[in-house]
Amino acid sequence: MAAIRERGVRVAGLSVGYDHHPAVVGLSGAFEPGSLTAVVGPNGSGKSTLLKALAGHCKPLAGRIDLGDLKPADIAYLPQVHGLDLKFPLTLEDLVGFGFIGRRGLFGGFARADRERLHDLMAQVGLEGLERRPIGSVSGGQLQRALFARVMAQDAKLVLLDEPFNGIDARAAEDLAQLMARWPEQGRTVIAVLHDLDLVRRLCPQSLVMARQAVAWGSTDQAISSEQLTRARKLAESWNVSDEPPVTVQHPEHV
Amino acid sequence: MTSLLGDQMTLMALKSASAGAVALAFGGAPLGVLMIARRLSLMGDALSHGILPGVAIAFLLAGRDPVALTVGALTAGLIVAGLSSLLARTGKLPDDASFAIFYLSALALGVLLLGKMGRADEMEALLFGSTQALDASGLVLAGAAASATLIGLALFLRGVLGEGADPVFMKTLGARFGLSHLLLMLLLALNLVAGFRAFGALMTVALMTVPAAAARFWAKGYGGQAAWAVALSAVSGLLGLFLADLWRVEPGALMTLCAALLFGVSALVGTNGGLLQTRPAKAHVRGLKA
Repeated sequence: MAAIRERGVRVAGLSVGYDHHPAVVGLSGAFEPGSLTAVVGPNGSGKSTLLKALAGHCKPLAGRIDLGDLKPADIAYLPQVHGLDLKFPLTLEDLVGFGFIGRRGLFGGFARADRERLHDLMAQVGLEGLERRPIGSVSGGQLQRALFARVMAQDAKLVLLDEPFNGIDARAAEDLAQLMARWPEQGRTVIAVLHDLDLVRRLCPQSLVMARQAVAWGSTDQAISSEQLTRARKLAESWNVSDEPPVTVQHPEHV
Repeated sequence: MTSLLGDQMTLMALKSASAGAVALAFGGAPLGVLMIARRLSLMGDALSHGILPGVAIAFLLAGRDPVALTVGALTAGLIVAGLSSLLARTGKLPDDASFAIFYLSALALGVLLLGKMGRADEMEALLFGSTQALDASGLVLAGAAASATLIGLALFLRGVLGEGADPVFMKTLGARFGLSHLLLMLLLALNLVAGFRAFGALMTVALMTVPAAAARFWAKGYGGQAAWAVALSAVSGLLGLFLADLWRVEPGALMTLCAALLFGVSALVGTNGGLLQTRPAKAHVRGLKA
């Protein structure tokens, strides 16, 4: 089990975007070790882009991400749209087993402990008895359960979830949210982009309200106030496709 | 055909051809299942043309020497497979397009070389094969290719399946896991080279992919499909050889037609969504609606 890290995940002056159009601008702050932070904000406020940057999928335009001593194998990232080929001849069990690859390497098919852990994970996400079902034959909720089990198999110290409960049945969403809420106790730092503010208030102690920059970042009680959310929405409405915000971004290579 | 096949295959030749066909089934069919799953079933086809310049150069240097031909084919196959895998990893082109660029160039080079030598007839032997070519060294190679494939897949299966089913996820784990694609290409090239002199490059690919396609109608997971593909490929190969001996023709084409026949049967009566299997289900639904 992952030990509690001394350092969390820090960002300083972080700007991230595509083709020099920043979606995240000058974000600074810290995700404390073993914390569960909800990232909320209007559409296009840079939530997914922030997660991608933390996962190492896109490079910052400016600023820094300090992951402490986390290695790629310590980070589990569940993107909003999975890249899974549902026609591939694969069982749910095979899919969850991919989670072991990062720690065991490509030879990772043989540890007896992994077999038992796989069985345990399938039970935890409520997929007992469906281990041999092809991935293309299950519901969206069941597939998401399996993807959560894969995240758990990765045994990651930093878990990044991008709208993990969108488009799945309420029962699956609640089961998986309850699982997610227990990960900080196991020493994991969890950052989840979420829409359901009721769920955020119930389960996430920390929140980051984003509108390209941080509108509010701290304990959920204070961050998720109607005042902050209104501010975020107004900021988002002030953006205009033809009128990019007047930000100057320092490119590292030009410094 | 340029083969020196006499009136009838000798019993020895038939025996070694049978052993070669079974080895090819064990090595090639599990790869065929992966290629179909990754929508790369034409890639084997492409690779079969890609080995041509290697064969041509070997022929130019050493004549019909079997070892030289094998080494030449393997070298060309590995180069085409390796370069296209590298290009595919840039993510700018779909895998099949990356492949097309290199195999078409290789094919053109091969045709040019053989044409320059005035040996265009060699191309037919390359693509359609001659069982006389399956000597002891050929059998050893076929056995080695099958063993390498089974061992390679057993060791790396999780990575190979992961790379095929969810490349985005594999990318998050680190770049080295993209190498499983290369492994797949190398094994494919090895099996192709093991089969091409006896059964022809095109027919070898057919015995990899057609039974693998048929296996989709019998099993859902990879393991089950691979097992069915091996069995169907071995049956096609042996049946084709038997008929070829009976009718005194080269076996490659007959083996392929047997595989096609078994595919047809599988598509009709296969328990995993065969055409005839889905009928009762539809009737059942209609019954419910009524």
